[in-house]
Amino acid sequence: MNNISIKLGDLVHGRSGDKGDNINIALICHKREWLPLLESVITPELLAKWFKGWSEGPFEVFPVHGVGAVNCLIHNVLQGGGTVSKRIDAQGKSLGQIILNANININPSLAKKVGFDPSLL
Amino acid sequence: MSERTIIGGGGGFWGDQTMAPLKLLESADLDYLTMDYLSEVTMSIMHKQLNRNSEAGWATDLKDWLKVGGIGLLRSKNVKLVTNAGGVNPHSCASMVLAAASDIGWNDCKVALVIGDDLGEKLSEIAASGAQFTHMYDPSLGSLLDHSSSVVSANAYLGAGAIGRSLERGADIVITGRVADASLIVGCMLHSNGWAKRAEESNLPLCGPIANWGDGNLKESLDIIAGWTVAGHLIECGAQVSGGNSTDWDDIGPLTDVGYPIAEIFPDGRCIITKPNKSQGAVTSRIVAEQLLYEIGDPCAYITPDCIVDFSCVLLEEIDKDRVLVNGAKGIEQTETLKLSASHKDGWMVVSELVAPGPNARKRAENTDFILRSRLKHLKGIEIHSEYLGDEALIPPALRSNTLNPSEIVIRWVATSMDKSELMEFSRAIAPLVLTGPAGICGYSARSRPREILRFFPILLDRNLVESQVHIKMMHSWRHDLELRMPWSSDLLFIPLENMAHSEKNMRRSRFAERILRRLDKAKEFDTIYE
Repeated sequence: MNNISIKLGDLVHGRSGDKGDNINIALICHKREWLPLLESVITPELLAKWFKGWSEGPFEVFPVHGVGAVNCLIHNVLQGGGTVSKRIDAQGKSLGQIILNANININPSLAKKVGFDPSLL
Repeated sequence: MSERTIIGGGGGFWGDQTMAPLKLLESADLDYLTMDYLSEVTMSIMHKQLNRNSEAGWATDLKDWLKVGGIGLLRSKNVKLVTNAGGVNPHSCASMVLAAASDIGWNDCKVALVIGDDLGEKLSEIAASGAQFTHMYDPSLGSLLDHSSSVVSANAYLGAGAIGRSLERGADIVITGRVADASLIVGCMLHSNGWAKRAEESNLPLCGPIANWGDGNLKESLDIIAGWTVAGHLIECGAQVSGGNSTDWDDIGPLTDVGYPIAEIFPDGRCIITKPNKSQGAVTSRIVAEQLLYEIGDPCAYITPDCIVDFSCVLLEEIDKDRVLVNGAKGIEQTETLKLSASHKDGWMVVSELVAPGPNARKRAENTDFILRSRLKHLKGIEIHSEYLGDEALIPPALRSNTLNPSEIVIRWVATSMDKSELMEFSRAIAPLVLTGPAGICGYSARSRPREILRFFPILLDRNLVESQVHIKMMHSWRHDLELRMPWSSDLLFIPLENMAHSEKNMRRSRFAERILRRLDKAKEFDTIYE
């Protein structure tokens, strides 16, 4: 079966913020049991692709099983940190929402296994 | 459930709604009110203010709400205030608080200062002991000492220990400098649960390790501290846990009168996050989860001065409307280092904006940018960053559609240089673009003024080097009152009364002195405890 394209926001809600020159983007599954599906999609490689031009990494993805989330940590992305960044969002606060619009490809059998039904979107 | 401590979080940073803590005090029955006023950048800004004015360098919003009823509410509702509003000048902050207390006749108000976080003056002394000051995230950025001539601030993040001890020594209000946000809340818990009392009685070191102050085994104590830290982490950003900045903003009703958060924290480390009845916003598992993971790195190792917390197994349960039970944090022993938040001057920055309208707005914007850059080509030290707001500027390049074609775009420039005069020239070149660029360029305001760049420089430092400097200073409103109204009173206190009655003037003074001594008698008990 072909992968299905959905918006990341169909799977998760999010919040982001800064720490020094890094930002973190927390992606929290609308249903906790969807976490394996999220983990299969959000990888350091995908973050590297998405943030090309803004950061050369490192990129880290940490699972948070209790609340069914992953925490994405993007290093060296604020041009040196919140006080020196020249971008309008110097602290990366918008990215947790911006990224919900990104398209992701999910594996239909894994989606079915964790109870995520794309036809309900 | 066992006895809980009710702690409010009245603000998320210096710049949050000034009167929020007043509303929280009015609308809830708190044991403690905590106010986090500091962020990574705040300390450097405060240092700049202090350099201009020796009375400045603290979060003056505190004064604004204390003076319009806040101080009275703290007293009448018997709520302890714990805040890092002291910034880089906790003494001046405390003087204001004491004056506010005197103004309402609260003459036995006790304010504790937690001092010792500010290492700006001691950098060379500490360096002499062999400390390195290497950038904690990127060693290639070298040492803070490489920038020693331009260092603006250097403050260590202190933990909860000294706050707990201040409260145990009877403080009504605790004013600190750079204490870690969540530690403000943990400090309250050390007091309300008897941990600080145990530490006082056994004369344990002021700063901890606080895990040694618990009544169970070390592992249990660490899990409890971890739970209290999670509670602190959840409420230290104000309304971000009660509906503000939530993905669900459009589903939770109006946020106009959003309620600020309350943590009901249990001795065993669990807590319930809630907000005042009738306030707007919401406390749901979804919202609490967003705040749980806000501004963290590895969720298995959230490092505070008090312990390392594992968030990965924290569970959230909605037990009632706007009530979320938080459970399951695990604690690991405190690190041997403390984070030092330093900053140094690194040139100048200026921001300007214009608006490009109409068909091909993007093309007009880019052409305007081209003209500006061409006109400033001779400035060799300037770096110009251009953004097109309204045309996917917030979106990482690889995720942009590049097909929006909006009919208006804000052109935003940020220019930096080590040479301020280059930026003055940059600012002068913006307005002419309205008359000499593409058609319809608008939105010009006054010439922007360059501001100094403060580069944040975090360091890890041996904990003992910092904690050996930390001490508590108790201040009392009766004494402050005397010194403020009668500057000569401190001399007078040491002159025997009978020697004073030589002249009419001294007779008047002696009547003052009698009154002062009567008040001193009253205050004697404080003296024996604190001096």
